[in-house]
Amino acid sequence: MTTIEGTSRPTATRFTWPRVTFIRFSMITMMVLIAASWVFVLNADGAQSHSIFSMHTVNRFKDFLSDLLGIGSSSTPAFAQWSEWRLTGHLAYQTLAMSVLAIGFAAIFALTFFMFGARNMMMGDMAPYSSWFWRAVFFLVRGLFVVTRAIPELIWAMLIIFVLSPGLLPGAVALGLHNAGILGKLSSEIVEGLDQRPIQALRSTGAGRFQVMVYGVLPQALPRFVTYLFYRWEVIIRTAIVVGFVSAGGLGTEFRLSMSYFHFTTVALLLIWYLILVLSVDITASYLRRLAR
Amino acid sequence: MTSMTSRDSAQKPKLLESRRVLTLILLAAFIWSLLNLDWTSGFIHSGGISAMGEFASALFSLDLSTDTLTTAISASWTTVAYAVAGLTLALLIGIPLGAIGSGVLTKSSWVKVSSTGVTRFTLAFFRSIHELVWAWLFVAAIGLSPIAAVLALAIPYGGILGRIYAELLQDVPEAPLQSLRSTGASEWRVFWYGRLPMALPDMLSYTFYRLECGIRSAAIMSFVGLGGLGHELRIALDDLAYQQVWTYLLFLIGLVVIVDVWSTMVRRRLSE
Repeated sequence: MTTIEGTSRPTATRFTWPRVTFIRFSMITMMVLIAASWVFVLNADGAQSHSIFSMHTVNRFKDFLSDLLGIGSSSTPAFAQWSEWRLTGHLAYQTLAMSVLAIGFAAIFALTFFMFGARNMMMGDMAPYSSWFWRAVFFLVRGLFVVTRAIPELIWAMLIIFVLSPGLLPGAVALGLHNAGILGKLSSEIVEGLDQRPIQALRSTGAGRFQVMVYGVLPQALPRFVTYLFYRWEVIIRTAIVVGFVSAGGLGTEFRLSMSYFHFTTVALLLIWYLILVLSVDITASYLRRLAR
Repeated sequence: MTSMTSRDSAQKPKLLESRRVLTLILLAAFIWSLLNLDWTSGFIHSGGISAMGEFASALFSLDLSTDTLTTAISASWTTVAYAVAGLTLALLIGIPLGAIGSGVLTKSSWVKVSSTGVTRFTLAFFRSIHELVWAWLFVAAIGLSPIAAVLALAIPYGGILGRIYAELLQDVPEAPLQSLRSTGASEWRVFWYGRLPMALPDMLSYTFYRLECGIRSAAIMSFVGLGGLGHELRIALDDLAYQQVWTYLLFLIGLVVIVDVWSTMVRRRLSE
């Protein structure tokens, strides 16, 4: 196929050829990875006493579902008691507070650093002058974003509980750090894609680096930054329960305890609260996003 | 949206401009969340600072023994395998549900409304629960098996992929589709020869982006007892073996960065 194209339009083919190979190479690598992964996963499963693809699994699954729903148990299920609803409702409130705190931390971190992570501000067209110092700052900030982003929230939490006393704070800091990296990268990319003309106009009046940042970049970048903030909040509320597994506080801690004490109807109740939280945050965030536009 | 803003500025005093209201809401929310912290006792627990010092100094005496490195490499492979296997299953959920959820396969209005409604609800439910919560539920339900990790990853990722695919399939330009329709093609054929090929680069590009997230999610699957980098990290942390913790952390960061660079390169070429 390539030879036919090659004979009809040689220059065009020579130009597009490396692009096609890279995508093709990536696709083949992906296929190999997929095959190897499945072989690995299915073989690792074979080491078990019962195969996962058997009636045994189906029965266990059925048992677990009826445990969750409290079927066949003598005691009243947790979700049928008003007092349980109030207790777990307080935990849901704490989880919500943790998520807001986390997005606040992430926003403060990202707002402090994002301009220094934008290539065009630090050494490109929008920089008044180029120097090794600002170049170094750029790579340092980008590196900071990469590291905070690469470590998942739960692992941040596992590290942070060595320093911070248990409570909402370590969870919020863990969520905040991971999302700070993501928000920082995204908002630096906003700055890199901004309309340059207003900024050049500002520059021509003699504005320095920081004046350009405050009066030129910030007003343009802020609406999109806030939009990203709400998208991340939707993710954070889903993850807030997970960091609660290690840092005391909120739905997560109670979820872990109920799981290990086999209080499955409490687990079901916690899941209900979790879904209520996720749904209400999704709705609130989409409403607030409209305000930001 | 523009009309609303102009009406706002014309009728209301400037004090109630929507962005200003938003700023106030955000500040109030952050202050409220700060009030929920326990301010009476200290935030840093005794020995916290010295633990941090020990941890930081351990970076300069990394554990690079053959044992640790072998464990790190095999744990990295487990993590990658979970992520990739989970993502393939997520594709099997996301592509069909996304196609149905976009509502482009049929013209009949009541079939469209009911099928898109049901699939969108399903997708929203799938992605509203975090993968680790799914993992824990699956481990409790079917036992400690890599399949539990793969399923747990596949469900929320399938939900996200399905939603994004549905949006991408809807956002395809209409004109080429109209020309297909004018030749007498059915909606199904229009989908197959028009929408899908046009949306495919963006769909692929988003899938590659998700691979990076998948690596991170797979790494924490260990929390419920399924191996991988997170598992080794947790053991090392429990042993206070900070030198090993750093080795595993660097492996995790390296893995994420490699996948990130790869997926960025693929996406850049796809969007050209």
